[in-house]
Amino acid sequence: MALYPSQEWCDDWKAAMNNDKSVAETGRKWGVDFNGNWLFEVTPGAGLEKTVYVYLAAAAGKCSKAKMIDDPSAVDPGYFVTGSYADFKSVVKGEKDFLAGVVKGSFKLRGDMTRIIRNARFIRAVANSISSFKSEYLGE
Amino acid sequence: MPTIDDFIRPKEWVSDFLTDLGKVIRQWGEDTYRPVRQQVDEDWQTHKLVPPLMKEVLVDLGVNAALFPSEAGGTDMPEPMALTGIVCEELARIDSGFATACICSIWGLIPILLEPHRNMELLMEFGPKFCGEELYVGSLAMTEPASGADIENLGRMKGKTIQTTAVLDGNEWVINGHKIWPSNSGKVGDLYVVLCTTKKGSDHPGDFALILVPADTIGVTLGSPYRKAGMSADMNSDIWFENVRVPKRYRCHSPGDDLKYFRRALTMGNIGSAAMSVGVMKSVYEIIKKWTTERIIAGKPLKEHSMVAEMLSEVAMLIESTSAWMWTYTRELDHPEISGWEPWDERFILKTRGLALYANNAVERACSRAMDFMGSYGYVREFDIEKHWRDQKVIGLWMGGKGLKTLENARYWFDLETL
Repeated sequence: MALYPSQEWCDDWKAAMNNDKSVAETGRKWGVDFNGNWLFEVTPGAGLEKTVYVYLAAAAGKCSKAKMIDDPSAVDPGYFVTGSYADFKSVVKGEKDFLAGVVKGSFKLRGDMTRIIRNARFIRAVANSISSFKSEYLGE
Repeated sequence: MPTIDDFIRPKEWVSDFLTDLGKVIRQWGEDTYRPVRQQVDEDWQTHKLVPPLMKEVLVDLGVNAALFPSEAGGTDMPEPMALTGIVCEELARIDSGFATACICSIWGLIPILLEPHRNMELLMEFGPKFCGEELYVGSLAMTEPASGADIENLGRMKGKTIQTTAVLDGNEWVINGHKIWPSNSGKVGDLYVVLCTTKKGSDHPGDFALILVPADTIGVTLGSPYRKAGMSADMNSDIWFENVRVPKRYRCHSPGDDLKYFRRALTMGNIGSAAMSVGVMKSVYEIIKKWTTERIIAGKPLKEHSMVAEMLSEVAMLIESTSAWMWTYTRELDHPEISGWEPWDERFILKTRGLALYANNAVERACSRAMDFMGSYGYVREFDIEKHWRDQKVIGLWMGGKGLKTLENARYWFDLETL
């Protein structure tokens, strides 16, 4: 069971996404003619001591990269999400809906809003794929 | 320099996401709708311009799918009233008739759309249509030739005056009646949510029924669109139901629950009306701010003359007060733990009638005052004040009109027992 967040966890997430029919179906147009890559900024608290970054490269319903990165300026994501470890942990555990968290302001999301809205089902499928495998958590 | 985004919209209650969504809609409106806005007004009869525009908002921008559950193909957004408020306000700023047509596509479905009273069977059947790639439009068929405010007056009349009947015949409802004025009637609506009674003259809550009727069902006949003073983007006509048969499962809920959850739709209609009023007033603000800045009279901008400043001040106060009130009630409805009431509580309808009435009066006043100071320029089409002035009037006429809104507001605050 991988620790969230860690590279091992990222590897599990990539595998889960690429094995998920809903991700493949809803994401077939995602990132095809635009930058559909994501950078997640996880801020400290609830066991996490410093800010960490998870980079996700996704296009046409597939994940090509999921990795921990040290320097956020080293990547060029089309979408940037920031939130606390506590809130992200709830999503990973399947306790909280990621999109609901965005709408309610728990997560700040930057990127082309039109594409977000049109592809809300894909985004939810990607978030749901996270809770399809078991993880361990800091502070627990 | 203040802009329309400086009017009250509490950041603690309206997330960046919803604000950004509003900006997407606003930009779409500027880029796509504004160039054809005046042509839409003239297109009231053939109605060719509006459906493709509705598709861009309802399908491409996801408004139709926003409140459907994900199992039915929707995006299942939380805080439905806040989302509705943003959509109504931003679209109404461009064209309140178009805002009405768009939001009324899903308004009638509120009793089955929202938790905890979803009807998953119906949502799974109709969800793929509303959430698909093609335009599919809903329409709430409520008002009848002899009764509008009476039907809305659920608290006192409880559906007693509804003449459209639904009789169960085996596994089918047989519907007979005549509805008038529904938004998205005429050739626009694909699915009607029809207010019926299962027993004419009854005020028993169990006899109030909400039944889904696809527009192409045998026995449904449509009238020609009415030419209204405004809101041409919203098509309104007659709908006749003659021995229309639909499956028994098309009743939204069981007896008693139809009326109960329909209250939530009425409350959302009141708040949505206020949001539209705010949107219209913000557009008026933009127009008169520009006008009174650029027009030079006696060596100074018009706005620097005290009588004009008095009008401008009044318009700003009308927007601030309406917006603050609207967002407060929006928050209360999306977070019923604040009041301890369920979202379908009758008290929400009664309280929000006051908001709707205030907003109606505010937008009417703002449009009229702006036109007073623009003079004949305000009266011509080119400057768009007259469009808002014509369009906004029906916001005061619907949802029971000002009479019902006045009575129900008083009923709540002063415990009226007979009115």
